[in-house]
Amino acid sequence: MSKVKSALVLILAWASIAAAAADVAIQNVHIHTSSAKQLPEPSTILIQQGRVVALGPDVVIPPNVEIIDGTGKVVTAGLVEPHSQIGIEEISAVDSTIDSRGGEHASGPAFDVQYAVNEASTLLQINLVEGVTHAVTAPAQGDDVFAGLGVGLVLSGDALIMRPKLALFGAVTARSAQNVGGSRAEVITHLRRTFRDLKTYRQQRAISGPSYTVAYGTHQERSYSKIDMDALALVREQGLPVVLHVDRANEIKQVLRLAAEHDLPVVIRGAAEGWKVASELAAARVPVIIDPMNNLPTGFDRLGARADNAALLDEAGVQVAFTVSDPHNARQLRQLAGNAVANGMDWSAALRAITSVPADIFGLSVGRIKVGEPATLVLWNGDPLEVTSWAEAVMVDGRWIDSKSRQTRLFERYRDLGAGKERGFTYQ
Amino acid sequence: MIRFMQLGISALLMLLVASWVVAAPYDSTYVPRPTADFVIRNAVVYDGTGLEPKVSDVVVKDGRISAMGVDLNLEGLQIIDAKGHWLTPGIIDVHSHLGVYPSPSIASTSDGNEATAPSTAQVWAEHSVWPQDPQFALALEGGVTSLQILPGSANLFGGRGVTLKNVPSRTVMGMKFPGAPHGLKMACGENPKRVYGSRKSAPSTRMGNVAGYRAEWIKAVEYKAKWDAYDPKGEKPAPSRDLKLETLVGVLDGEILVHNHCYRADEMATLIEISKEFGYKIGTFHHAVESYKIADLLAAEDICSAMWTDWWGFKLEAFDGIQQNVALVDQAQACAIVHSDSARDIQHLNQEAAKAMTAGRRMGMQISGARALRWITLNAARSLGIDNETGSIEVGKAADLVLWDHDPMSVYSRAQQVFIDGYLYYHRDDAARQPITDFALDQLVGGGNE
Repeated sequence: MSKVKSALVLILAWASIAAAAADVAIQNVHIHTSSAKQLPEPSTILIQQGRVVALGPDVVIPPNVEIIDGTGKVVTAGLVEPHSQIGIEEISAVDSTIDSRGGEHASGPAFDVQYAVNEASTLLQINLVEGVTHAVTAPAQGDDVFAGLGVGLVLSGDALIMRPKLALFGAVTARSAQNVGGSRAEVITHLRRTFRDLKTYRQQRAISGPSYTVAYGTHQERSYSKIDMDALALVREQGLPVVLHVDRANEIKQVLRLAAEHDLPVVIRGAAEGWKVASELAAARVPVIIDPMNNLPTGFDRLGARADNAALLDEAGVQVAFTVSDPHNARQLRQLAGNAVANGMDWSAALRAITSVPADIFGLSVGRIKVGEPATLVLWNGDPLEVTSWAEAVMVDGRWIDSKSRQTRLFERYRDLGAGKERGFTYQ
Repeated sequence: MIRFMQLGISALLMLLVASWVVAAPYDSTYVPRPTADFVIRNAVVYDGTGLEPKVSDVVVKDGRISAMGVDLNLEGLQIIDAKGHWLTPGIIDVHSHLGVYPSPSIASTSDGNEATAPSTAQVWAEHSVWPQDPQFALALEGGVTSLQILPGSANLFGGRGVTLKNVPSRTVMGMKFPGAPHGLKMACGENPKRVYGSRKSAPSTRMGNVAGYRAEWIKAVEYKAKWDAYDPKGEKPAPSRDLKLETLVGVLDGEILVHNHCYRADEMATLIEISKEFGYKIGTFHHAVESYKIADLLAAEDICSAMWTDWWGFKLEAFDGIQQNVALVDQAQACAIVHSDSARDIQHLNQEAAKAMTAGRRMGMQISGARALRWITLNAARSLGIDNETGSIEVGKAADLVLWDHDPMSVYSRAQQVFIDGYLYYHRDDAARQPITDFALDQLVGGGNE
């Protein structure tokens, strides 16, 4: 009972201080920074004016700083979902709420989801209250080789979009092969030709200057339009990661070869058979974004799927990040990590797979707890990877977020049906 | 020992022969595999009824639980020392499509939805089940010992569901849970109206759905009257058989249990009205994301709710899904079940139950792990009409048991040994006790090609 009470008190306190930059110290707490530095346990984290000011066992707490007792609790960085449709998909089966798919004419490398990100999406708060503070929102991968450009989001605050045109997304799968003739070989050839063409395109554009407007693509059967080539050119000009959905070992190897030929900053998403080529991935320093709970041989691209894929990849030295395939449930990230641990992955690596690694893949300066950085953290009432613990409080850029969401409000509305009846919104 | 084995094998053969001969068409031919009597010692036992777990010995004789407690007579028993382990009843999933939507998922294996007419009560899911679906073995690793395979939800009446034992078998009859009643899959809401509305045929609205159910039940009542009036010894010929109406009459007679896919609270309430008009009982609402809004009604009507923990938002009728649904239904003394409807989540229903428990605790509700475990064992068995046989660790019941390496309410817990009718079908550390489907051979992990 006292536990419940203290949680309630905390929630109330949290609600009252929501939206104000907090000067706060959490004492006697287990802090997992997701960086190389291991802190002695328990430690203290001091936050002032929105930034982490001090970390460690001997932090001196200045006056006028609110003190929270973190005994038995855990602090981590906010969780980062590296591949979602948060903000561009509300209700999957309602087309008018779906902005993740480009049309027949808009699809391709230049399809840019940044213009449709919905600040009022209920998915933001529902995932945020459970500790997911950042997400990479990407176009849905349809039948095309390239799906388009994604954005980096912070799920709280006034400016949702941290960075537009964050990465280019695509696929080398049986499905994307269908779109270029049917064979997986065609997708590889298509990619190779595209990046070779890109070289020519950029040379021509450089010669002609910024006013280069000549219609492009007459000499290649499957070339892209000028705006698509400009989008592809970002890979060269800004080092944009090229995130390709690839599951089968053979195509992963083909993509690695292609990446080496063209010096492409490739990231493999899916990687169901990644474990088979783990040493090649590690040698090429190519990170992977995987769902460690998807061990199903649901298609011929992924007959080699297995539950310990994450552990095997990590063991081989591959940078591993986790993704939940359903944007409504990015909050399952920590369950994914917990299962990866149950299947042999190192606990710290599993935590990094939902914090620092996804942030690093996209060059977002989040996912770690670091002195001098804006304070974005989650206070958990136990092991954050455990299904019996939960986020007691979430701070983004130094501000406690409101702990309520549309779903907690629905709960309150119906938790006591007797009271509800009086207000007339339950079954009569 | 050899002599004993020979005896066992010949007994098994006799049983098999007997079952081939005796079984009526489509009946179960499953026979428990003979195994030595044994005791699982010193495990922390969750019995599935909701009682707090305690350290206890569980004795299994002839595949059934014959005693439990401490200081038992263990003479002549093989001993499994399970100190530091947890023992639960076998997990039961009331909503699965394994075998009818197998892996690999391609057009030629997509056999779950006979979406050709709003009522296809004549089809039986078991006639689509591919026993070589590799997903059965994955579910077994997750501790699932029994599961109901349902047709999909495209139709108002989707057809009959079947309850299976999760055992390797060359035929579906060899998996059928002996004596388990058939289910009737019904579906309300968006799916039927979308599927048929898009073809410009009925139903295209929710009112069209309701008219569709009622029209079929009217036919079923008439059909039943015809057969009730028929005297086999009389002169009048027998009425002609109608497979579709036979299923519905099975429901009216209480022999087939209704499993009704329904999301919205108001629609569930309307479906209850229909059941009253025609005198049948709804056993379980499936998916039931809004059960928490009418938990009192569901308790009063004695209807189970089979629910996900955190699925929401994939369609409008799932938009109000909350993680506390299960806990709120349970709190209202209605029958709460956690189901999977997923080849992924069926592998960790224990975690889904734990998450549902945690969601309630987070909001200040008092829920024990033992209570949560009941949502995937005894309550599920009740929904399927097999609670006299399985679903809890009680003397006399089948020894469907799972031995875990951690508390099953933990994400780190993994099933180590899985018993069905006392036979060890899965052992995490023994490759010889890990079923391999034909499809897995030389292709899938565990199929010998790693």
